[in-house]
Amino acid sequence: MMHQRGFIQRLVRCVAESPAAFAAIGAFMGLLSLPDLSMAADSGGGAGAVAYRDVPVIGSRNLVWVIAQLHLLLAGFVLGVPIFAWLCEVVGWKSGEKRYDKLAKEFTKLLSSAYSTTALFGGILLFLLIGAYPKLMAYLSDIFFPSFMVYCALFLLETATLYMYWYGWDAMSEGRSKVFHLFLGFMLNVFAFFIMIIPNSWATFQASPVVIAEGSDMARAWAATWNPTWWPVNIHRLIANVVLGGYICGAYAGIRYLSARGPEEREHYDWMGYVGNFIGVFGLLPLPFAGYWLMREIYQYNQQMGITLMGGFLSWLFILQAMLIGVLFLGSNYYFWLGITHRIPGSELKYRRPMLAMLIILLLCLGVWMTPHSLVASLEEARKMGGTHHPLLGVFGVMSAKMTVSNLMILVTFMSFIMYWRAGKEDTATWAKLAKAVMGGVLVIAGLVVVVLGVWGYFVPAIVRINYFSTSQVLIVIFVMLTITPLTALLLKSAKTTTEMVWGKMPPRAGYSLVLNAIMVILLMTLMGYARSSSRVHWHVYGVMRDSSQYAFSPALGYAAALMAANTFFFCMIVAFIFWVATMGDKAKGGKDGHGKDEMGHGALPAMAGGSPTLDKQS
Amino acid sequence: MSEVVKLQLIGLSVIGTGIIILLFIQSKFLRVIGFVAIVLGLFSLVALAVPQMASLPPAEESIDIASIKTPADMASIGQKIFFSKGQCALCHSIGPSESARCPDLKGIGAKLSREFIFESLTQPQAYIYLDYRHEGLPKEYPARMPYINKNPIGLSKNEILSVIAFLQQMSGEPISVNPSELEMPGAAPVAPVKAAQSETVTVAQAH
Repeated sequence: MMHQRGFIQRLVRCVAESPAAFAAIGAFMGLLSLPDLSMAADSGGGAGAVAYRDVPVIGSRNLVWVIAQLHLLLAGFVLGVPIFAWLCEVVGWKSGEKRYDKLAKEFTKLLSSAYSTTALFGGILLFLLIGAYPKLMAYLSDIFFPSFMVYCALFLLETATLYMYWYGWDAMSEGRSKVFHLFLGFMLNVFAFFIMIIPNSWATFQASPVVIAEGSDMARAWAATWNPTWWPVNIHRLIANVVLGGYICGAYAGIRYLSARGPEEREHYDWMGYVGNFIGVFGLLPLPFAGYWLMREIYQYNQQMGITLMGGFLSWLFILQAMLIGVLFLGSNYYFWLGITHRIPGSELKYRRPMLAMLIILLLCLGVWMTPHSLVASLEEARKMGGTHHPLLGVFGVMSAKMTVSNLMILVTFMSFIMYWRAGKEDTATWAKLAKAVMGGVLVIAGLVVVVLGVWGYFVPAIVRINYFSTSQVLIVIFVMLTITPLTALLLKSAKTTTEMVWGKMPPRAGYSLVLNAIMVILLMTLMGYARSSSRVHWHVYGVMRDSSQYAFSPALGYAAALMAANTFFFCMIVAFIFWVATMGDKAKGGKDGHGKDEMGHGALPAMAGGSPTLDKQS
Repeated sequence: MSEVVKLQLIGLSVIGTGIIILLFIQSKFLRVIGFVAIVLGLFSLVALAVPQMASLPPAEESIDIASIKTPADMASIGQKIFFSKGQCALCHSIGPSESARCPDLKGIGAKLSREFIFESLTQPQAYIYLDYRHEGLPKEYPARMPYINKNPIGLSKNEILSVIAFLQQMSGEPISVNPSELEMPGAAPVAPVKAAQSETVTVAQAH
């Protein structure tokens, strides 16, 4: 029985680590599904010109929705993780701290399995799209065929680089070969970036198509690629992928922390959770700016599409979005505050009042952000409110207020991080007082200016607010970050540590808060995917190719949310499976060596990337 | 039982399952799954508590030439084509717009003859307008005008005439296109309105 189990484990690992094997399975499954697809062909234009095929029971749209969502989430993870794995490796190389290098390696280990799973879902999605939407796919293939070729070439390069990066980690760990290994990691991210932006061009063309004039295939593909929302989506997704990767690794660390059996494991996964949360927050801070730019481009491209999103039948969606982002901000801050309280003994009393003030500001901001404005209301509801805007709350529902509170929430979160960074340290620099006064002044003035601009925004034309006031608010917040971060770093360089950071002392709720943050990010991605798709309303390609299938309608939010929740759950299970597969070998190795997890000495655990400097020395 | 009620019941049962797991199961991994189930169930319930509005597509309309009796009928169909199949509104605005990537078409039906408009649609490189909306030398608009009568847009002659009728009507001009010019399906094609006489590219010099 044990032998059989070993065979299954080897088989699973072999398949999981080989994109080719997964692609073959994907192709096989796709072929199996074709007869089903052909069961319900809907010929849109006579024999030989099938426009749509349906899938029994679940429906083609739902099936494509689930598979596409899982593929996108996995892709986000696969593209986000190498960014911070590489950054961790660079930090480890520059600082000489081995734990960062080990952490980077641990993240990269997940990549090979996750990469092939992503490819598998991509293959299934492609078969489904070809089968269920042949007319649309023929249209898109006609325009984008050259970019399909580039995409395939990039995949080959990415796969080869990933193999060299992962399998060459130990062989290229010193001297010049380490520099080459870092270069491989850099190239891995370069290829990954282009792998992301090419499909983005297909999807953004569907939402914001441009007219394609006569020309060569390449010229036509390039014209369609360079559509108005392409770069805003590229930037938004790049940052979001880092956020997703960070929070998922944080959640993984949180689960491992909860189930840790020894102090070393607890210390390690506590530290890993901190790194994951930090990376997530690091990406989260600029994300609303990228989202704002995207929305602005959508409004500029087609005002009707913008109105459909913000004020039409999707208006409630943005209230849900505000709720999820609010919980995410609260969860991230809460984790920082728990860290201050439990990892730095003696700090809880010192920082209790600032934390309470931050909590109140965050809750007030969240309340404003969640205030509905111009919702689609029934006649009766509109009569009760005295118009489409609520007489009392309507004033908080406008964009000026929402932009202001989102900037304030970013400022508060940033200050939470700074507070955590400074906790347990005493400044020794002679200019420390001056620096602190400057930082305090910058923060207070910036907060006031953000609020003043927000209030002033009510009294100027929308175009002035959008082009100047909102942009100024964003620039002010960025200025605060760029001023306070280096100043703090300089101050801490000469600071005296009064209280050593103690890892592994966080309460269990810290682990759950990391899981909660990851779930919020995944839900946000599924929610905004639905928004982006629904903003096209009944068009496959907005204003160009109409969706004339039975699924041309956009479902109501409740139905969509149920599917989003299901997708989130499936994704979590897949990621858990990937983590299990990726760590299976280590556990087996540990068992074969005669060391159970409990028996391992300090630094001997495969995942022992952190904990304390002592552990570095021992490993 | 409505779909919303069914989904609410599913959401509640997911939350209930999560609570039971948290209360009675010790395995950490399963407890995390229970916690995730509660979060997802709550999210679904909140989404189900807001007004449920689906976006239904408008009925698809096809052009029935037999039903076209007056030039105004043609203009009405032309308006629909302008904003849908013709893809004109992807680049052109009707009235000043900062985001328009091509010339503003407000009043175009009064400024240009129907022959010139037809030529602009079917021979777009014959005469190119430049963008004068800024200081300095005029420059080309960012989007290049495609051949409207060829793929991928591929408007038929009937559709192009209808668009011309719409452009004239919205410019306050009498519609010079007549339903009798429409080609009936199966009938022999009549001579085109006026094809471009030359392929020479001319650049507009006048403001």
